[in-house]
Amino acid sequence: MNRIRQWLSKINVETIKIELMNTAYGERTTLMAKLDPRVAIIWYLLFAILPWLFWNNTILIGMLVYMVILTALSRISPLILFLLCFGLVTEAGYVIFTALFFGGDLTAAAALLTFTMKLTIISLASIVIFTNMDPERFSDALLRFKVPETFCFGISYGYRMLPILIDEYQNIFNSFRLRGRFPEKKGVLAWRYVYHFCVTAVKAFYPMILNTAKRTRTTVEALEVKGFTYGMHNPEAKELKLSYLKTTKKDVLFLGITGVVLIAIIYTGTLYPIERTIHQL
Amino acid sequence: MIMTPPIIELKQVSFSYPSSGESVLHDVSLSVERGDFLAVIGGNGSGKTTLCKTFNGLIPHYYNGELAGVIRINGEAAQDTNTALLSKTVGYVYQDFESQLVRPRVLDEVRFAPLNYGWQDYKERGDEALDMLGLNDIKDEFIWQLSGGQKHLTALASVLSLQPDVIIVDEPVAQLDPVHAREIYYTLQYLNREHGITIIVIEHHTEFIAEFAQSVLLMDAGTVKWKKPTSEAMRCTTELQDHNILPPPVTRLAEAVDAEASRAPITLEEGTDWFRPWVPATSPRHIRPVPPAASKRAEIASFDGVTQGYKTVEKSFKWIFEDLSLSFYEGERIALVGGNGAGKSSLLKMLTGILRPRKGHITAAGQALHGTSPEKIAELVTYIYQNPEEMFIEDNIRADIEYFLKARKSPETSTYADELCRLFSLEDLQHKDGRLLSGGQQRRASLAIGLGTQPSLLLLDEPTSSLDINSREEVARLLHELKEHVKTVVTATHDMDLVAEWASRVIVLNEGTVEYDGGPRGLFSSHELMRRCSLYPPQIVRLSEKLGIQPSALDIHEFLPFVKGGGPCYESYPSVAFENQR
Repeated sequence: MNRIRQWLSKINVETIKIELMNTAYGERTTLMAKLDPRVAIIWYLLFAILPWLFWNNTILIGMLVYMVILTALSRISPLILFLLCFGLVTEAGYVIFTALFFGGDLTAAAALLTFTMKLTIISLASIVIFTNMDPERFSDALLRFKVPETFCFGISYGYRMLPILIDEYQNIFNSFRLRGRFPEKKGVLAWRYVYHFCVTAVKAFYPMILNTAKRTRTTVEALEVKGFTYGMHNPEAKELKLSYLKTTKKDVLFLGITGVVLIAIIYTGTLYPIERTIHQL
Repeated sequence: MIMTPPIIELKQVSFSYPSSGESVLHDVSLSVERGDFLAVIGGNGSGKTTLCKTFNGLIPHYYNGELAGVIRINGEAAQDTNTALLSKTVGYVYQDFESQLVRPRVLDEVRFAPLNYGWQDYKERGDEALDMLGLNDIKDEFIWQLSGGQKHLTALASVLSLQPDVIIVDEPVAQLDPVHAREIYYTLQYLNREHGITIIVIEHHTEFIAEFAQSVLLMDAGTVKWKKPTSEAMRCTTELQDHNILPPPVTRLAEAVDAEASRAPITLEEGTDWFRPWVPATSPRHIRPVPPAASKRAEIASFDGVTQGYKTVEKSFKWIFEDLSLSFYEGERIALVGGNGAGKSSLLKMLTGILRPRKGHITAAGQALHGTSPEKIAELVTYIYQNPEEMFIEDNIRADIEYFLKARKSPETSTYADELCRLFSLEDLQHKDGRLLSGGQQRRASLAIGLGTQPSLLLLDEPTSSLDINSREEVARLLHELKEHVKTVVTATHDMDLVAEWASRVIVLNEGTVEYDGGPRGLFSSHELMRRCSLYPPQIVRLSEKLGIQPSALDIHEFLPFVKGGGPCYESYPSVAFENQR
């Protein structure tokens, strides 16, 4: 119990902030990080869409294994993996509990396992891409795909603001605590404490949003002064900005190998399908 | 001699924002010569910032409004071009410079503007700007990890990357601590002298103006009163004070000594020469021992063997304090000073319970803080944030002041809030949202909100930062009045003038240890110690040092007896700090 408490005490706002920023901007030496971000986006789209097209469990298991290997290679922050596992375990747990509680048997859970597997593949793909591509490159890749400039800038700016917003949120949250009143009684399972915390956590967002809105005025003006609008209507500037995006042999090779792996998985899947019989309603 | 045309020229310019209809600038005519270092001064709302926004085309191209007259920037009519083009000539560093930085890393930030203009050599331009300001060491750092001074320099570098002819800096001193502010001014001076860049600063602090600016422009109610060379401008002491601007301390001192003085000094160097004949060659005196306190006062808070640290982004651990022991007593006015990262804010936050020590014990009002919720501790201790906006959790000031007492269903909520509003002159503002107030009003509101918890121990984090001179004076005055309401006040501050005029005890933190603990005079007389802890003493203290007066005089009144040939007449001030801690 003590160890769990010690471990839980490590999860605080500061740690989350550092993990998040490290995940986003941290120095990356993995193969995925060196890819052209456009190739990485295409790869991601592939694995975000494909799982929905198959009901064959062999194929899904194959994709899952492939994704787990890639995740392992990407050296993902333990905190984020923990959050993912936590989500999956609680989801599966709740499904099994509901099925059993309402007189069903484990077949209901098995049916949903396919769905959970699809979700896991997509989540892992998202984590891999999130860890391996910093927001700058992501935003530039989107720009190349002709996504509007303001939107792309918004992504990279949003990331830059994140740590500042987290700090500010924490300060405002503490402001509420330093003037608020803690419930005197715990209540069953300390529900009063939990409720108090949840209410404060939500309330603390409002002042933060107002403060940010106020600051944004300077930012917009500064963007004007730095020629941002000017650059937006200047194709030359855009070309110059994106000139570093180049597809190399490595990218082609990566896409090729991914294709071969996918075909192999699908082929094996059709040879040895593990399929549930779908009950007709 | 061939006259080069002025870089900025305004002829009968008037401007009004569409929303108000009132004219913010009224019939302004002026010219700024190439290579000038100009300080724009004037009271709040005199139109200084609006004026500077006409220089880079934000007015009239970004802010639409009624504009009359002619604005010529570098010979071109500003009305015929646009902000983006004018920005290449005139760079602007905002007062809220943090909001000006839009990219994640320093290197991205300085390349951003040249990139927007599609210049092939955008990388070189960015690197050059970093070189000029000596920022190469931090070019790969994330903006959000930089200190305030580094952020300001980065904002300046990003403006420099466009290689402008003019740079406007809005109130650099207000947002920075004195050491960094001085650094910024040296940088501006260097850019001005070595690269011929015209510098325009909006500034309240005459000490900096006297030392760095070449000419001064006084604004009043949207008009230009005059533009004079600095030495002449600083000597118009009565006129400056009429516009709520405090002349440099040495100038005021010289006036107090000799009201008829024709060439009063305006900088420390001039002051040293000027006063030397007036001050007899006194043999250096040593600091008097602190008079023993009549009786030991009650302890109000204590740290015992406290250890605290944090994890850095590189995942290493950094200790702020190791085995810190310290006591605060009733009736003390404590100033907590030290460079950035010395642990001032952490120390204050530990007293509120929102930051827990890793090891050691903290008590407040005889109660151990361990295991007590911040909500409970708040009944004894109040912490006032450096940024008042983080204290505005309701949509009007009054609700914010009442928040604490209301949560505790106190029957005196309303009467007490009335009293606080009166004390902090917030009667007319109490129903406004705190975010919409000016800097000085916000600070007053944050003090009132803090006192709304009826604390015994009041903790303030940089209460005078980012304030203009008047608001600063007002806050300093209010701090003196607080003793009626709280037992002990602890203020973390960079403002050495505040330390000199307000504190009864100073604690200097340096790398997590207490370097000094005693009266302000003792600190200001230890010049070596101050330098080591990167503290910057007030001008009168530096003058005392130069003239060999020891212990140093802390303000003008204390200095006067030296000049008139009398001995020092320092009041004896009780400090129990040494006494109780031995």
